[in-house]
Amino acid sequence: MARCAILTNDLQYDLVGKNEARRAAVADFAPRMCSFLAQMRALDVPVVHLQLINREDDPRAERYDGWLPVTKGSAGARIIEDFHADGDIVVEKNKDSGFYATELDARLRELGVDAVVITGMQTQICVQTTAADAFFRGYHVIVPADAVVSARPEDRTRALEWLGSYCATITTTTELLDAVVNGDLPTFDVVPIP
Amino acid sequence: MTGETIQLDHGTGGGMSQELISELIAPRLGAVHAGRMEDSARLHLESPDIAFTTDSFVIDPIFFGNGDIGRLAVCGTVNDLAVSGATPRYLTLSLVLEQGLPLADLARILDSVREAAVEADVAVVAGDTKVVRGGEVDKLFINTAGVGEFIDTGELGVAAVRPGDAVIVTGWLGNHAIHVLSLREGLGFEQRVLSDCAPLDGLVWNVLEDYSRQVHCMRDITRGGLGTVLNELASGAGVSIRIEEHHLPIQHETAMAAAMLGLDPLYLANEGNICMIVDGDAAIEILEVVRWQARATAPRIVGAVHERCGSAVTMVRGDGSETVVELLYGAELPRLC
Repeated sequence: MARCAILTNDLQYDLVGKNEARRAAVADFAPRMCSFLAQMRALDVPVVHLQLINREDDPRAERYDGWLPVTKGSAGARIIEDFHADGDIVVEKNKDSGFYATELDARLRELGVDAVVITGMQTQICVQTTAADAFFRGYHVIVPADAVVSARPEDRTRALEWLGSYCATITTTTELLDAVVNGDLPTFDVVPIP
Repeated sequence: MTGETIQLDHGTGGGMSQELISELIAPRLGAVHAGRMEDSARLHLESPDIAFTTDSFVIDPIFFGNGDIGRLAVCGTVNDLAVSGATPRYLTLSLVLEQGLPLADLARILDSVREAAVEADVAVVAGDTKVVRGGEVDKLFINTAGVGEFIDTGELGVAAVRPGDAVIVTGWLGNHAIHVLSLREGLGFEQRVLSDCAPLDGLVWNVLEDYSRQVHCMRDITRGGLGTVLNELASGAGVSIRIEEHHLPIQHETAMAAAMLGLDPLYLANEGNICMIVDGDAAIEILEVVRWQARATAPRIVGAVHERCGSAVTMVRGDGSETVVELLYGAELPRLC
């Protein structure tokens, strides 16, 4: 059976708090997501939070009305408490993909993980790029559709279509929990690269 | 050399400028530097007709996975000469340096200039160095001008494009653009999709050696991509060009990235890819020659030239429907070269 880990993306105070649409989307999925994470932890599935940290010297880092969010050590950069638990792993990243110039790949290999469950915000940016990067590195990629959010629903829908057609198995948190509980987490079909 | 970064005094023309040139730039360029350090270079050329071109390079980031701005600055100008039907001979190298640029970065870029010049068999015969204050350029901009000697060809150019010709593309479409975009934003594609930046003069020469009369026009597919090149050719020659979508060489991961970003690979930049318009009767033979060139990453016949009828450029999709390949206006992705 594949050993999986949960990756959350950008569930941080500054990023979620950016606008009402994000806050509403995350508030809507938070109860379901928190329950999912708690049940997965109970099943000994590692939870890895990908924490975006903007570097002061990065001209491409998105600024909000002139200020730079999620700087290192700032309160706004912290993972939102509801989603975080003792024993979770936090991996700092500076770009969209959680694998780009980070220790994520090494940490997952240490844990013996070969399937990653990618969750969080936003589906069309960090979820999508992290999924593609994981796929290229040989991981089975699983995306529970009810564990990813976007400020605009149409972005989420389009991104899920892309993920399903190129590199990920799209499922739900309920189906995934059942699979892990029953010990039959499948080895998902990987779309071959021609 | 004293110091570890570029200082404003390196650009004043005084002692520090001389030190920069004599202790860093000239030694790094090595044998490809054939200039006399005078106000101009004296060149010897066999051909009565020469090709002369210039290009500026402002790519961000200056280093990418399998190249850098130095390699790009040589390849870009060499390829412009090559697709004109000229053998590249000489380059100039002008550097605009930002105060504070690490000398180690400059040394690395000059090494790339040297290596690419050796690959393309061109000499750097003149140059210039300017230094500006921090923020006035982004690290380093480069201009290269190039001189080449025309190979004996037929009428090579847009005017020679005619109905019955075939369209050959020598490499994957859009890889340079996707590679650079992925590096900038950390999108995860940069290891799988590499830049195609390379000098293509050898490839061109090997084709023209036997097919100089059958090759009617060539274009370096850079900014604006194949879609832009084909529109320029069709408009310039007063013809229509029809391409087949399923023949386009698009790497799977490039298609993935383009779909994710909402970009069309037809309009993405390359830095080592040529569009050749060739006599339709010789197209398969020419393709066979291209296929054996190391720099041809994915050679394909992708379409044909027709009498002008309706739109300048169209594409036949997999389902048989035909769509117009529009000329791109203003959606250029910045600083890819």
